[in-house]
Amino acid sequence: MESNPLHPFELHPYGEFHLFGLDITPNKAVIMMWIVIALASWLLYTAGRERRLVPTRLQSVAEMLVEFIRGMILDMMGEKGMRFFPFVATLFVFILFCNLLGLIPGAYTVTSQIVVTASFAIFVYTMSVVVGFALHGIRFFGILVPPGTPLWLLPLMIPIEIVSQLARPFALAVRLFANMTAGHTILAVLFGMVLSLPVFIGWLPFAFTIAISGLEVLIAFIQAYIFTILTCVYLGDAITLHGHSEGAH
Amino acid sequence: MPQFDTHFFSSLLFWEWVSFGILLFLLYKYAFPGILNALDERERKIRESIEAAERSRAEAERRLAEYEARMQSAQQEAAELVAQAKVRVQHMMEENERRMAAEAERIKANAAREIEQERRKALEEVRRYTSELGLRIAEKVLERTLTDADHKRLADEALIAVAKDFEKS
Repeated sequence: MESNPLHPFELHPYGEFHLFGLDITPNKAVIMMWIVIALASWLLYTAGRERRLVPTRLQSVAEMLVEFIRGMILDMMGEKGMRFFPFVATLFVFILFCNLLGLIPGAYTVTSQIVVTASFAIFVYTMSVVVGFALHGIRFFGILVPPGTPLWLLPLMIPIEIVSQLARPFALAVRLFANMTAGHTILAVLFGMVLSLPVFIGWLPFAFTIAISGLEVLIAFIQAYIFTILTCVYLGDAITLHGHSEGAH
Repeated sequence: MPQFDTHFFSSLLFWEWVSFGILLFLLYKYAFPGILNALDERERKIRESIEAAERSRAEAERRLAEYEARMQSAQQEAAELVAQAKVRVQHMMEENERRMAAEAERIKANAAREIEQERRKALEEVRRYTSELGLRIAEKVLERTLTDADHKRLADEALIAVAKDFEKS
């Protein structure tokens, strides 16, 4: 069983719960989500309660986080984007905590579930489109024409832009899912090698797992950041309607 | 891959959005306002402190300039006073000198006049004394008293001399 590196991603239902015919049986990933919201809300609540002029450590970290997200929003969406601050910040915090807590041995990485990342990605993209149409009406189709495009290029540009638009939620979902899955798979493979190899050579993959674990912490931050900044970019496009077509990240 | 096992999709989706919703509510209601307030408050305090410091600095500079100007005017005034005092002292000294010179002149003149008077008095006295002395000596020399006949003779002689002088002229 340990030889299968995808074993850590397996889920098992804890009991049997249904709501209006929907199977909502908790499993390890669901438990992790509960832990995430409990921990995140407790930490941020504690940090927000301090309100000291000279911040405590926890307050500093929380303020850094808030400033960081506020900076992203102001850069990408401008002052108008601050309406989305609670959503964007919660999204960042949720993904970051899922990524980080998933690194604890024995825990489960919620964001390594494609259905979780995909539903966030589709929600974010749908929201950007809805916001775009709500703010600009029919002119929001202008997002398919990058500024400065010559008229004769339109037949070529519009299909490309449509594909680029449709690729957005897909890329957003797969990027997070694949990064989280890959890191844990590599760790699982290396640990499998550690267990199956004799000690005199087995220390080598073990040393690698330490390095990879460090890298995984970095990736946990970076992927949460990328997901959030792209959310800001898409919402910013919808608000400002400049149609910056950003490359693949 | 276990992640594509659709069996757990409904549960994961349900709990994902419930969890996300709860977290959003909790953070929106209890965490973000506090943190954002603290940030705004700090920003405000820092800005106010900087502005207050700026104001104090400007005030201090203004006062310093004022003091310097005041000090300069005071120095100028002092220098003027000293100059005036010097001039006055100079005048007083000159005046004194002149007055003293005049006084000395006056005293000298007085002394000269007095000396002259004394000299004249002394001369007068000497003259009176010598004439007295002369008279006395003459009296002694002409011990004998003149007789009436002598008077007559002398008067005649004088008359003759006067007549002679009258006739000549």
